[in-house]
Amino acid sequence: MDWLRGLLLVAQRDLARFWRNIYWLAGQLAMNIADLVIFAVIFRGLVNPAYIPDYIRFITPGILCLSIFISAFSIGREVGIELRREVTHYLVSLPVTRGQLVAGRILGGVLRGFMYQAGFIILAVVLMGLPSVDKWLLILTASLLLAVTMSGLSITVSTLTRDFNLQAAIRSLVYFVFFFVSNVFYPEKALAVRLGSAAPFAYYSPMSMTVNIYRYGFNYVSSIDVFFNLTGLIVWSTLAVLFTYKVYIRNLTG
Amino acid sequence: MKSKAVEIENFTKKFGDFTAVDNLNLDIYENEVFGLLGPNGSGKTTTLLTIATVYKPTSGDIYVYGHSVTREDYVVRKLVGIAFQDPKAMWIDKPYELLTWHARIVGYSSSEAKKVVQDVMELLGLWEHRNKQFYQLSGGTRKKVELAKVLIQKPRVAILDEPTAQVDVLSKHALWDVIKKLRDEGTTVIIATNDMFEAEKVCERIAIIYKGKLRALGTISELKDSIPSGDLVEVQFEGGGIPEGLLRALRDIGRVEARSSVLKVYVEKGEEKVIDIIELFRRYNVKILRIMVKEPTLDDVFTYITGAKLREES
Repeated sequence: MDWLRGLLLVAQRDLARFWRNIYWLAGQLAMNIADLVIFAVIFRGLVNPAYIPDYIRFITPGILCLSIFISAFSIGREVGIELRREVTHYLVSLPVTRGQLVAGRILGGVLRGFMYQAGFIILAVVLMGLPSVDKWLLILTASLLLAVTMSGLSITVSTLTRDFNLQAAIRSLVYFVFFFVSNVFYPEKALAVRLGSAAPFAYYSPMSMTVNIYRYGFNYVSSIDVFFNLTGLIVWSTLAVLFTYKVYIRNLTG
Repeated sequence: MKSKAVEIENFTKKFGDFTAVDNLNLDIYENEVFGLLGPNGSGKTTTLLTIATVYKPTSGDIYVYGHSVTREDYVVRKLVGIAFQDPKAMWIDKPYELLTWHARIVGYSSSEAKKVVQDVMELLGLWEHRNKQFYQLSGGTRKKVELAKVLIQKPRVAILDEPTAQVDVLSKHALWDVIKKLRDEGTTVIIATNDMFEAEKVCERIAIIYKGKLRALGTISELKDSIPSGDLVEVQFEGGGIPEGLLRALRDIGRVEARSSVLKVYVEKGEEKVIDIIELFRRYNVKILRIMVKEPTLDDVFTYITGAKLREES
């Protein structure tokens, strides 16, 4: 109980900051979503209907995935600022365990991911129709696992260096790799052709796995390998948590 | 026998090739105000941050009430509260929200937190600033917010890293009273400072740290007495000359400097020797107009021990 209390308080702190920075994040999201909508409208007319019959229905699960990815990933930006201003010294001096601190921070990222995704889920329901209860469970599980992965990953990446420029560069690199090297924008058939040697990464990317589950959940495709995608996401999120615990604490406590 | 609150054993901390603290050994007793005195970069803050489990020792260990900072860091964090040298907050943070969250994380319930935060903020004159953002606060007010965290927490060991830096003179005196009250309520207080006046005013024992090494340790009077002939007895007497016999007798007590009607005698334990000096003047029928004993300052002690001036180093 005490453990949970500490964890929730750490997450609450991140959530409070999230609300204070909400305009910044809204701007980021609006920009990305606008790009995607424009792409969707254009590609709808350009893409061969034999490959993708309706690009808007194809990209909507992708948008859903990006919304949770972007917002969960945003926690890394604050962790980076905290590291440079040594606010992290304060956090590691508090009477909480290292596990509570790391789990609380990851949870902070997860919660902001879910909050931001809520609006896009409504959008998806409007465009794609209502999933069944079992598919809802699948969608939410995938969201949770992706949010844990991205929150952990962004925290880890942000603590690799105190150099602002290097930090921003590394975060951007990781961000864009996950953003674009996935099946969010392209169907799987096109991945091997378009991405070349990066195709296997796209295949095993947590983004692709989540989008697969969303497309199945919102009935865009009738079947997927649920076990493969879900197991893959569990592996990604477990690795992200372990990696965050090691790197975040090591880099914070010198 | 005083019980130990903090035991620092062979503590060394390195950052890459740079040795910030070199084999430090130190005991801090329960319920005392202990000062770490030294210039910037001497290793004070590194030592304090390690006690607070922010850093890990490169070698050696530190024990807080018998609990190792390396092996029982969580237990240590429950016993220790720290007010950092640079306030640890983001620019958009508001003092009230910051302190309320701090109160919750150190164990208060929601309603208790609100009450204790208001009490402490009023005590430190922070209440009127409660909803300002951090960037709107003066340096002194930000320091008070740091101190407020410790007062809210009421830890068994309070670490205050330069608690009154940037604070105005009036507030400094009030904060020193607050620190003493914290000690009176049962907290062991460790203060890092390069302000000698603050050290003299608040600390009961002092460790002088210089270039990562412990150079001296003791009460303020012990440190001052450690300087040979460090006390000065200054006598202003009637008439222009001084009898040769008196001068010879005074030279047996200490080093003498005579200038017209003022005589300076450098001695150890001046408060004891002054009686002998008065007696000698009386015996030689030289009337004393004014006499005073001056102790060396901590700055003198620092200069004597390290060969460096504290102000210049800082």
